Amino acid sequence: MTALEEQGIPGVIVASSEFRDAARYQAQSLGFEPVCVFVPHPIQDRTDQEIRDLADAAMDEILKSLTVTDSEQQA
Amino acid sequence: MTERLLLDPTSERASSRRERVPRPSTLEGLTVGLLDIAKYRGDVFLDRIEELLTARGLQVVRFRKPTFTKVCPPGLGRDITSRADVVVEALAD
Amino acid sequence: MTAHSPSPTSAESDDSTGSDWRLPLEDGIVAVVKESCPTCRLVAPVLAQLAQSGVQLAVYTQDDLSFPPGISPVDDTELEASYRLRIEAVPTLLRIEGGKEIDRLSGWSRSAWETFTGIPDLGPGLPEYRPGCGSRSVEPGIAEDLEIQYGGSRLQARRITVAAMEDEIESCFQRGWTDGLPVVPPSPQRVLRMLAGTSRDPDEVVAAVPPDLVPCTVEKVAINAVMAGCRPEYLPVVIAALEAACTDRFNLHGVLATTYSVGPAVIVNGPIRRAIGMNSGINVLGQGNRSNATIGRALQLVVRNVGGGRPGEVDRATLGNPGKYTFCFAEDEEGSPWEPLSVERGLLEGTSAVTLFAGEGPRTIFDQLSRKPDALARSFAACLRSVAHPKLARDYEAIVVVSPEHGRVFREGGWSKKRLRQEILDMLVIPGEELVRGAGGIMEGMPTAETLPKFLPDRLWFVHAGGPAGLFSSIIGSWVAGEAGSQPVTQEVQS
Repeated sequence: MTALEEQGIPGVIVASSEFRDAARYQAQSLGFEPVCVFVPHPIQDRTDQEIRDLADAAMDEILKSLTVTDSEQQA
Repeated sequence: MTERLLLDPTSERASSRRERVPRPSTLEGLTVGLLDIAKYRGDVFLDRIEELLTARGLQVVRFRKPTFTKVCPPGLGRDITSRADVVVEALAD
Repeated sequence: MTAHSPSPTSAESDDSTGSDWRLPLEDGIVAVVKESCPTCRLVAPVLAQLAQSGVQLAVYTQDDLSFPPGISPVDDTELEASYRLRIEAVPTLLRIEGGKEIDRLSGWSRSAWETFTGIPDLGPGLPEYRPGCGSRSVEPGIAEDLEIQYGGSRLQARRITVAAMEDEIESCFQRGWTDGLPVVPPSPQRVLRMLAGTSRDPDEVVAAVPPDLVPCTVEKVAINAVMAGCRPEYLPVVIAALEAACTDRFNLHGVLATTYSVGPAVIVNGPIRRAIGMNSGINVLGQGNRSNATIGRALQLVVRNVGGGRPGEVDRATLGNPGKYTFCFAEDEEGSPWEPLSVERGLLEGTSAVTLFAGEGPRTIFDQLSRKPDALARSFAACLRSVAHPKLARDYEAIVVVSPEHGRVFREGGWSKKRLRQEILDMLVIPGEELVRGAGGIMEGMPTAETLPKFLPDRLWFVHAGGPAGLFSSIIGSWVAGEAGSQPVTQEVQS
C-alpha cells in the first residue's frame, strides 16, 4: 500500500482484526501508517454469504476512509 | 536496521509527519480500484464490494496481485495509478 | 584504606540539559583516569596514597572498573562525567569546593600534584614528570556521539526519525529535501562534524532567506551543507555565499521568482581556494571537484529547504539552467594577467572572498586565430553583443571567464583589465536604429532608437580561469542588472 501512496493514489487496506498488531508494527518500521478498515476474524472458514455480509458491514467505513469529510478538511 | 535520527534541514514551518496522500471530498465521478492481494476469500469480498459500489453509480476497476508473498510488481502499480483514482486493497489477515 | 563511595551532591554540571548527573562530592578532589594510559597506571599508587592521607577523593575510571586497584572507582565507562567535565587528558585532577570546580591539572608532575593536593612526598620512586594521554571522551567519533547524547541542546533543529525499515536516502527524497539528486542524510553526528568547520555558534543567524525570509542559523546551513556533500572546511565559504545572496543588492527573491534562466553563481577568491582544494583550472565550470560542486549545491539547498524556494512554487523559471544544481568555481589568480575579481571589487589582496552573481549558463567564445589583444577584444565584443538579445542594451551585466591562453594574448599585448573593459565597452556602443523594436524585422529590442552602450561601465567583469590549453573563453550573462534586478555582491569569508 505504501508503494501506491508514494505514487500519489489514496487508498485503504481491508484486513482482519487479527492484523491490527501487525499493522501497527509495520507502520512503525515503515514510518508510515496506512488507513486500515478491520473486519472481524475469522476469514478463511466463513461461507461466501458470511464474507458478503462482512463486505456489507464494512462498506460505510471503507467509503468514509476513501474521502475526507468537511470537518477533517484542514487549511 | 534500527531507527535513525536526521536533523531537519527545512525552516520547520511544515509538519514533520509524513502525511497521507490527500483524499478526495467525494467519490462521485471517480474510479475505484479494487486490488485483490491474493489471499484466500479476498475475491469473494471484493466481488460484493464491487456490487455495492456499482449500485451507487461508481466506476470500478479490478486488479489482482499475482502472489500475496511479493510486493506489487511495478507494472501493476503503474496500471492501478493510471486507471484508478482511489484503491481498496483486500483482504489481509 | 579505600576512599569511601561518595554520595552524589547537588553540584551542577556545566551543561544544563536537565540531566541527573552530579559531581560525586561537594568538596575534595575528583580524578579521571583510564587503565589503558601508562601515566594513569603510574599514578595509581599516588591516588591510593591520597585516599589514605584523608583527602576526599573520587576517581572516575573511563575503561576498567577494577582500575585503579585498591580504590572503588566511579564508573564512567559511558563517559558522561568526562564529557560534562570537559576532560581532554588523563589523568586529570579537579579541585572541587562547594560543589564547583575551582582548579584542575593533567598529567603527572610530583611538585604540581603536591601543591594541588596539599599532600607532601607523593609517589616516592616515581619519575618527576610524565605527560598524560588523551581522554577517551575526545577520541574522534566518540566526542560527537557524546555531544549528541549528553549535549543535545546544542543542536536545535527538529529531529526527524527514519523508521527501521526506511532507507534514509529515499526518505530525504520523499520529504522533498533534495534537488533531484541524492543527498547525504544529515545525521546529528555529521552535522556536529560540519559545525566544527566554523568558529561561529550554531544558533547564530546568518541571514533571512528568501522567499519565506526565514532566519537561517549556522546550524541550518550546516545541515544543508552536509546534505550537499561538503566537508567541514567548506562551511565558512557556504556561509559567506549565503550572506551575500541574501542581501537586498543581490535580490535573491527576484533571482528565484523570475522566469528568466538565472541562478546564483559563486566565484571564490583568496587563500581559501587552495586551502579547500578548489578547482580553477581544467574543466573549471564543469564537474569533478568536490569543493566547487558542493559549495554551490549547499547554497541552493538552503534556498530550497530553509527559504522555501522550489521549482514550480516561487521558482517559476521557464527553462532554468544546469547551474541551478550548483554553480561555484575559483578564479585562477596565480596565472592571471590581472588583479583578482575580489580586489577589483574593493577587497585587499589576499582576502578570501566570494562574489555572488545572478548568472545564466555559460556560453563559449571561440577564437583560435586572434593573437593580438585588439582582435581578441573584438571577438569578445561580438559575442557579448548577444547577451540576452543582440538588440537589448544597457540593462544587462556579464562576466567573461578568460582562459589562460586568451589571457596570454592580453598579457603579451600589455592590456590591463581596465583597458580591455574600456575597449569592449566602446566597441559595443550600438546605434539606436539597430536596437529599436522592429529593426531588422525583429519585434524585440529597445523602445526608442536611442544609441546605447550594450553594457554600462560597472556591468562588465573579467575572471581568469580554465585549463592551460584551449583558445576559448566563456560568457556568463546575467539577469536584469541594477536596482531593478540583481547586482553582484562580494563578501569576505570568515572562519
